[in-house]
Amino acid sequence: MSGFVERVAGGASPLGVLLRISVLGLVVYQAVVFTGTLVGEQAWVGLAAMWAATVALVWLFTRRGHTPLKFIVPGTLFLLVFQIYPVLYTGYVSLTNFGTGNVLDKAGAIEQLQAQATRVPTDAVRYDVAVFADPDAGEDPGVEGIGLLLTDPDEQVFFGTAEELVPLEDLPDVTLEDDRVVAVGAYERLSLVEAQAVQTALGQLRVPAEAGAIQLQSLTTAARAETTRTYDEERDVLVDTGTGVEYTPLDGNFVSDDGDVLQPGWVAVTGPGNYTRAFTSPLIRGPFLRVFAWNYGFAIGSVFLTFALGLGLALALNEPRLRSRRLYRSLLVIPYALPSFLTALVWAGLLNTEFGAVNELIGANIPWLNDPVWAKVSILLVNLWLGFPYMFLVCTGALQAIPADMLEAASVDGANAWQKFARITLPNLMITVAPLLIASFAFNFNNFNTVYLVTRGGPPIQGAQTPAGHTDILVSYVYRIAFESGRGADYGFAAAIAVLIFVMVAGISAYSFRYTRSLEEIA
Amino acid sequence: MKRHVLVMLMMVLAVIATACASDDATTDDSSEGAAVETTDAPEDDVATEEEPAEEEATEEEAATDATEDDAAAEPTEDAPVARADADLVIWADETRVQALEPFVEQFGVDNGITVALQELEFDEIRSQFSTAAPAGEGPDIIVGAHDWLGELVTNGLVAPIDLANAGEYAEVAIDAMTYDGQLYGVPYAIENIALVRNTDLVPDAPATFEELEQIALDLQSSGDVEIGLALQADAADPYHNYPLFTAFGASVFAVNDDGTYNPDELGLDTPEGLAAAEQFGAWVESGLINPSITYDVMVDSFASGNAAFAITGPWAVSQEDPPGFRAQGVNYAVSPIPSIQGGTPEPFVGVQGLMISSFSEQGLLAQTFVQDFIGTEEVQLALFEAGGRPPALLAAFDQVADDPDVQGFGESGQNGAPLPAIPEMGSVWTAWTDAYELIYDQQGTPTENFQAAADQIRNLIAEG
Repeated sequence: MSGFVERVAGGASPLGVLLRISVLGLVVYQAVVFTGTLVGEQAWVGLAAMWAATVALVWLFTRRGHTPLKFIVPGTLFLLVFQIYPVLYTGYVSLTNFGTGNVLDKAGAIEQLQAQATRVPTDAVRYDVAVFADPDAGEDPGVEGIGLLLTDPDEQVFFGTAEELVPLEDLPDVTLEDDRVVAVGAYERLSLVEAQAVQTALGQLRVPAEAGAIQLQSLTTAARAETTRTYDEERDVLVDTGTGVEYTPLDGNFVSDDGDVLQPGWVAVTGPGNYTRAFTSPLIRGPFLRVFAWNYGFAIGSVFLTFALGLGLALALNEPRLRSRRLYRSLLVIPYALPSFLTALVWAGLLNTEFGAVNELIGANIPWLNDPVWAKVSILLVNLWLGFPYMFLVCTGALQAIPADMLEAASVDGANAWQKFARITLPNLMITVAPLLIASFAFNFNNFNTVYLVTRGGPPIQGAQTPAGHTDILVSYVYRIAFESGRGADYGFAAAIAVLIFVMVAGISAYSFRYTRSLEEIA
Repeated sequence: MKRHVLVMLMMVLAVIATACASDDATTDDSSEGAAVETTDAPEDDVATEEEPAEEEATEEEAATDATEDDAAAEPTEDAPVARADADLVIWADETRVQALEPFVEQFGVDNGITVALQELEFDEIRSQFSTAAPAGEGPDIIVGAHDWLGELVTNGLVAPIDLANAGEYAEVAIDAMTYDGQLYGVPYAIENIALVRNTDLVPDAPATFEELEQIALDLQSSGDVEIGLALQADAADPYHNYPLFTAFGASVFAVNDDGTYNPDELGLDTPEGLAAAEQFGAWVESGLINPSITYDVMVDSFASGNAAFAITGPWAVSQEDPPGFRAQGVNYAVSPIPSIQGGTPEPFVGVQGLMISSFSEQGLLAQTFVQDFIGTEEVQLALFEAGGRPPALLAAFDQVADDPDVQGFGESGQNGAPLPAIPEMGSVWTAWTDAYELIYDQQGTPTENFQAAADQIRNLIAEG
């Protein structure tokens, strides 16, 4: 035991040991907490993975040495959970019909299809209800152990159980207390609170009556209800008892021979249909090329503009002759410090043609957000505002790393300022910055926030086959199609497009990284 | 070195927590021990909420509203709501939470149970419910609008309700809450838009829309008001433009004999629809309809006396924060939108009500709550006080029928038709909004824009 404590302590300071133990304790605690949830959901793979990770972590961090592992394992877990798992899950969803109309599992869908077809006929009698239970049946009496005292609108009283419905006066053993029935035979009256406790059984209780069964509609009312759909478990068909039509399962829905589809359906793997749809659908083909072209224009333009401005400012503020450089630097970081989510919204307001501050300030009437060209300019400007401080910081850092003697040597050789910049500063800078530019490109390629919050993709493209806007990029366009313009959400289709975009961005990044490597070799 | 280890361990903790939670999209631990009467859902902390939630009462706003507030509720940013740990959980928006709270508490005491009211933004309720309910994390009851039914029933998320006293409610309210012959909600309020005028500037209601146009333009050009007519239609939204569309005899979808909408016959590019589009373009050109008026500008300008007319709903009148028409003390009157070229404007009528989750483990209790409790005059009147919308229960409605606002909006609503709840309506909003936006921007002719929108919508419906 003491050996264990020593190992955990590992010669660290008492505070460090305490922290390590409590954090490990928390990890274990979380695992214990989630065990219940995962068992409840029967997610055995997840459970095994979680405990494997927990045990591995505890083992690793109560051990001396293994320093590289201690770095790699948490990072790898991180990667698995936040990168690999989402990609795989998206891939899975893209092969399903998950979306409006298909969000349940099959059992749930069958249950709902039956519940929706259960109706109280318009002429049905509604009863007021008091719930009775047989105390001998214990805490969970089940359907057999409960009875209902039913009062119809004519004040006629019946007693109903799962077996039969009889008028109360025909029953010999009724106990009254102030004209109130408190017991019928072995059954005793329950209060509402007590009735709630047995509501599962109450929900299942069907009191046989002429043409159908009386069932509870709430804790205090009941009525005869009829269902017109039954599920035949053996043959896996849903039968409409009214018309006799049979519905067989097909791709996540019950479908009749005539092609009549019942809703709701369930989530089912339907194969690559979402992908073929992405390539053949007029929805995508329509304005796709325009959106695609602007997507590149937007991403390249954003990277170029932010980099140019960021670099320019970095160069200026790197000039030792400039006073209060610290102050300027702090001020320049402000746009970066504000949440882009909010600033984008604020910009949308500022750029309002008539009431916006920008037009009022410059005394113009520019349709910033309503004209196709101006809207693109606006988006780029807003993105410039949001993005340049990052580039500024990156460039400032990278500039410090360029050896001053190289520049001095160049001066001695008689190079002018431009030559020094173009031949020494910029190439050296690019070695550090190029990967970040690529990352920035990938980020802007999918910069949903800026586009959606500033223009919502608008203004609309006139005469397009599907609703699309001049400033829509692929992600926002797909968002529109998948969530805003159809009959609700279409997660399967959206996932397929997301996978395609992922492939595209991954391809660009891979190519670009190879390109930067060659850049490094030159340097 | 030690610090690195610590940081990494904390990250691992987060990793594991997320790994376990990512399957069901909701985390359990945040709700543990939260047996409180009222719990605020996390995203209510979004402090940018400026419009009253009820402004978003209708589907089209979910789809098209480009206001700041809507975007703040942009789904990718939200953490899902966890179910509170109470016997009965109700999701409602801010206004309804405040109105329902005392009654809900009473219901809890009467029945010896705990009831939690969780506050969400109005449109969040629907989207969060769709994710949370199948995962077993959803509420037992939601407070929502009838036009959600198409989606919710198609998804199998709401349970049928049997209402013995359906005759005691306004017929339109029960009809609206009925989907495919089955009742799915207990209605508590009816809402629609109408014309609100500043009685200091315009003492008498104009008899025709042409007269209204004259008055509005005169007041605008004489400088008495900044805005003649403030139409609540930012992002060019078809919901608020709808009466100006139907006055020409057009309708979004053709109407079957039984009053349901026929999704196969779109009304946008019928001769009537195109005539409405052309006239709308003419109003934009004449300056009667100003494309830059957002909801906030509309409320602000009318409440401060800078607009002569507004076309909006009860929400703008009763809104408290920022102060709406009543709170600002402007003298106003509500009346139906006057006839346009002899045709009657028919606004969309929306019905609000309570629906029960089909995943509720307290189904019977939830049924008891909505059947016996929400259908009382007391509760319906309290909800009226909070939202300004006329009650759906006739007995409650009679008590407030003398209220001039109720009369005005009610009269306007009598000309109206229920907002379609069919799922195909989801294909309409974006394309139609785009068409209006192009008219606002004066790009292409209104006819072209409406024809293009109709083609887009047919494409979308065909794709399902």
